[in-house]
Amino acid sequence: MLRRTVLVALRALRQLRHDHRFLALSLVAPVLVIYLLKLFFDSVENPVFKPQQFVVPVGAFIVHFLTYVLCMIVLVRERTAQTLARMFVNGFRRSEIIGGYLLAYSTLATAQSLLVLVELNWLFDLAFDTSRFVSMYLVMWLLATISMALGIFVSNFALNEGQIFPFIPLVTLPSIFLSGVVVSVEKLPEWAQLLGRLTPLFYANRMVQALLAGGGLSDDWGSLAALPVYGGVVLLLATLTLREVD
Amino acid sequence: MTQSEQGEAAISCTGVVKRYGAVEALKGVDLSVRPGEIFGLIGANGAGKSTLIKLLVGTARATAGSVRVLGMDPLRQAGQVRSQAGYMPQAPALYEDLSPRDNVRFFGGAHGVPDLTQRTEEVINFVNLRGRADDAVFGFSGGMKQRVSLACALVHRPQVLLLDEPTAGVDPKLREAFWQHFRDLATAGTTLLVSTHLMDEALFCDRVAVMRDGAVLVSDSPKALLRRGRTRVSVWCGDERQSETLADYPSELPGLLRRRGLEDSVTRIELDEDTLETVVLELINEREAVHA
Repeated sequence: MLRRTVLVALRALRQLRHDHRFLALSLVAPVLVIYLLKLFFDSVENPVFKPQQFVVPVGAFIVHFLTYVLCMIVLVRERTAQTLARMFVNGFRRSEIIGGYLLAYSTLATAQSLLVLVELNWLFDLAFDTSRFVSMYLVMWLLATISMALGIFVSNFALNEGQIFPFIPLVTLPSIFLSGVVVSVEKLPEWAQLLGRLTPLFYANRMVQALLAGGGLSDDWGSLAALPVYGGVVLLLATLTLREVD
Repeated sequence: MTQSEQGEAAISCTGVVKRYGAVEALKGVDLSVRPGEIFGLIGANGAGKSTLIKLLVGTARATAGSVRVLGMDPLRQAGQVRSQAGYMPQAPALYEDLSPRDNVRFFGGAHGVPDLTQRTEEVINFVNLRGRADDAVFGFSGGMKQRVSLACALVHRPQVLLLDEPTAGVDPKLREAFWQHFRDLATAGTTLLVSTHLMDEALFCDRVAVMRDGAVLVSDSPKALLRRGRTRVSVWCGDERQSETLADYPSELPGLLRRRGLEDSVTRIELDEDTLETVVLELINEREAVHA
């Protein structure tokens, strides 16, 4: 099983290496968006407003959005090109395909999260010490990995590239509005709070806020544990819903 | 089909029905392919050839009926069937940003081919792509992609090959080489099920099933099918031509010539045999007339 998982991962990485445009977009796009964010926050003239409270969660959202969408596109592309069916016919199992993709794209997510955090730290003078930087990075990396799993799961319901588009706002809009990044979750109606808890950004944002307030990862074990549990559940759902037979 | 026939066959389908919603893609297909045989599925697009092959490789589930490959169920015994079957889909189904060598190594690696490097070179050479083995498939013509796809299907030396339109877009010279290789594989014991919409390719097969609208119209050897055709004999006496249609010209022609006495005035005899396409067209017309 592990051999074929590694085979899928190596093949996906080789494809990434050849697809310069995709690679560049995945790494340059978040950097560019965060720079635009800097220009936006610089123009807000409000002495009470502290952009630091917002920029890290928004940076996390950008990573979440990009990894989710890119993973979804890649998997749907496999389906429409019929290479997914060909993989099954050649003996690959669902868990091996998903595991391989996760392994390959987590390298991209690792680089993406690091770039975003370094840029945020530099542009907004966040002055994180090493321990806080590593904790922030862990949260962002976990979120990116979960977003990939979410992308793989949702891609199982899109039969072609065109069907991807309705799924983008369906996941990302509740993420940004109901997770506590823009408004406090407590101010939302109860049903919206419940919906917010279904987004991975909710748990990541709680961790980020705790770290920004000077706390450590151990201050909110619940949210820290929720991220890998969330990822595991989504991966299980992705494996169960990946259709092998028509 | 009896149980013993089903057991001996490399591929067998009994009463196979496949429905996609209200559309019945296969309407009770029965066929049996013997080990080491080249069996052709002949029919136009939409006849049900690709659907049948998908059932055999286990990427689709039959609504009713039974499908067996090497005596095994392609869904329940997917692992065993897939390790011994090679599949070339109608679409190239390749990683186009990778090279032919990368594609072949990836699919060969899945099967754990022990001499993968050597085997990859063998199949790349066979499909005549050694000069382009490291170029991205993306810029290849349709025919070249078909060749890469065939190489991927062959890499693990399967016992059964299921090829969906393997020669579509391939030039005539390479097409001949493909069929020669298919014959060599069959001689070595590989069973081949090849779908095609080209009637002339049926002649390369040991037996064929002609499919139309999800059903097998007729299944026989190409020679037996051709024997169903007629031959028009034209006898020329100077500028005058007399024509007669014979159902079985090898046995009926001597009688015709005896009747005519083969006079000195006979200057030319022309034989115009029905092609396989004409025979199949006749069969379709007969069947439609019955159902009308």
